[in-house]
Amino acid sequence: MATNERPEAHSLGDRVYDALFHNYVWRSIFRSGYPNTPRNQMLVVATNVFLHLHPTRIHRTHVKITHTYCLGGLSFFLFLGLTITGVLLMFYYVPSVERAYEDILRLETDVRFGILMRNLHRWMAHGMVITVLMHMMRVFYMGAYKPPREFNWVVGVVLLVLTLLLSFTGYLLPWDQLAFWAITVGTNMVGSAPILGEPNRFALIGGFEVGPNALIRFYTLHVIGLPLLAATFMAVHFWRIRRDGGLARPL
Amino acid sequence: MVTNAQENAVSPAVRARARRDRDEELLVWPDLVFIEFISAVLFTVTLTMLSIAINAPLLDRANPAVTPNPSKAPWYFLNLQELLLHMHPALAGVIVPTVALIALGAIPYFDQSNEGQGEWLSTPNAWKLTWIGSIVGTVVTLLLVLWDGSKHVVLWAMVTGNAESDWPKFLDWTRGARALQDNLPWPEALRNIPLGSKVLRTDLLGLPPIDLNVDIAAVMVEQLIPTGLMIGLPVLLSLVLHKTGIAQTRRDHMIAQFAGFIAVFVVLTLLGTAFRGQGMELLWPWEVKPPVS
Repeated sequence: MATNERPEAHSLGDRVYDALFHNYVWRSIFRSGYPNTPRNQMLVVATNVFLHLHPTRIHRTHVKITHTYCLGGLSFFLFLGLTITGVLLMFYYVPSVERAYEDILRLETDVRFGILMRNLHRWMAHGMVITVLMHMMRVFYMGAYKPPREFNWVVGVVLLVLTLLLSFTGYLLPWDQLAFWAITVGTNMVGSAPILGEPNRFALIGGFEVGPNALIRFYTLHVIGLPLLAATFMAVHFWRIRRDGGLARPL
Repeated sequence: MVTNAQENAVSPAVRARARRDRDEELLVWPDLVFIEFISAVLFTVTLTMLSIAINAPLLDRANPAVTPNPSKAPWYFLNLQELLLHMHPALAGVIVPTVALIALGAIPYFDQSNEGQGEWLSTPNAWKLTWIGSIVGTVVTLLLVLWDGSKHVVLWAMVTGNAESDWPKFLDWTRGARALQDNLPWPEALRNIPLGSKVLRTDLLGLPPIDLNVDIAAVMVEQLIPTGLMIGLPVLLSLVLHKTGIAQTRRDHMIAQFAGFIAVFVVLTLLGTAFRGQGMELLWPWEVKPPVS
């Protein structure tokens, strides 16, 4: 097994390198050696649960920035960033009408880096809506939805809707005038649908107007329901990119 | 041995990809992982700087008794809120976005050819079609919104030096969509057709009666005209592009329609965000004041 070969260590540098990257503990964590040979570089991608979203090799056109502008990757990056800042925000926030607004105020004034966390979460959320829309435009103008990637385009449209819903449900949580009335306006639109509008609106906000029930519903959807759904569809989305032959390129 | 069934399980395009040019390929580590890492660092730094510089908005505590004027949805729904000003709420708030999303999802099933995939705007007229779609979408949307906001009357008053109220009486019905309903001599019979008590006789089945009185003028202004325009104008665009030979394939038509859709989306979002002041009045961005309670 090449991964278990111990190179002969001669110089001090070699011995330090050996001690760092060929020791028992390192090998128990990373099955491949340090990725400085083509073989180990492929192994590191193939044997790492996070990196194995990638293939081990890609076509050289795909690393050109202008091929994708990294837009899909950026959307995923923002999703991860939103998850991290979101979890931190959950430590300080209670979704009750009595506490929500005060918690945000406290977060901004009493919590170290609290305001930075909230700002990051807010701007990343707007950023994700923008990158997802731009990703859709990139895929369209490149004809990357063409066979065999038809269904992945549909998955992408679902992810666009989920992104908008995630952002929309988060919008209510600060429980300020901006949040309250934006959600009132938004859910009134739902209510205007023929026949099913009113029941749907009632189910969404748990009453006839935005109140405590709406807050807890939006919170639950925002922090667990929609993220799980989005993560599931993302898994399908990424998996299908691999299954359908990688990124689109000229036939 | 590859059986027929196995072969059919993979679509032709994937099979075509089977012969690989190893010379053309790079290793994901380090070539791609490096780019991903750098862009992640770049965006983390940029977003952190942005978050240090600009605070997320936080207004007063929510108060159901005090309605700010104007009350606006989040920016990515302001395109729909803009539509809401011009048509029936069911159309603007639910039917149009639903149809738009279904149409978006249907793109690959409408344009099934494999030609030009993976290349930026690869058909011969693609750039031209993108420009045409974007410009037509922008101009037509702006004209329709301005017309519905009676801005042609404002312009006329400015040019001729008259007051806006001097707009000729016999042209009052051209002030905007709503004026078609209010300022035309509709016969009373058409304004109140009792469908509920005369046509849909649910009471005969022992069910509660339906209260449904149809105002033809309102239906025309709120539903028929907007629907007609939203279907008719894109169809007209595709017809013209087809007749002139600029759009030849389904992909060509898709490009023009998609560009048009994006243009309309962007114009409506911008109008709703920056050009709507108190009472959702159409104003210049510098005239728009913060909401009042």
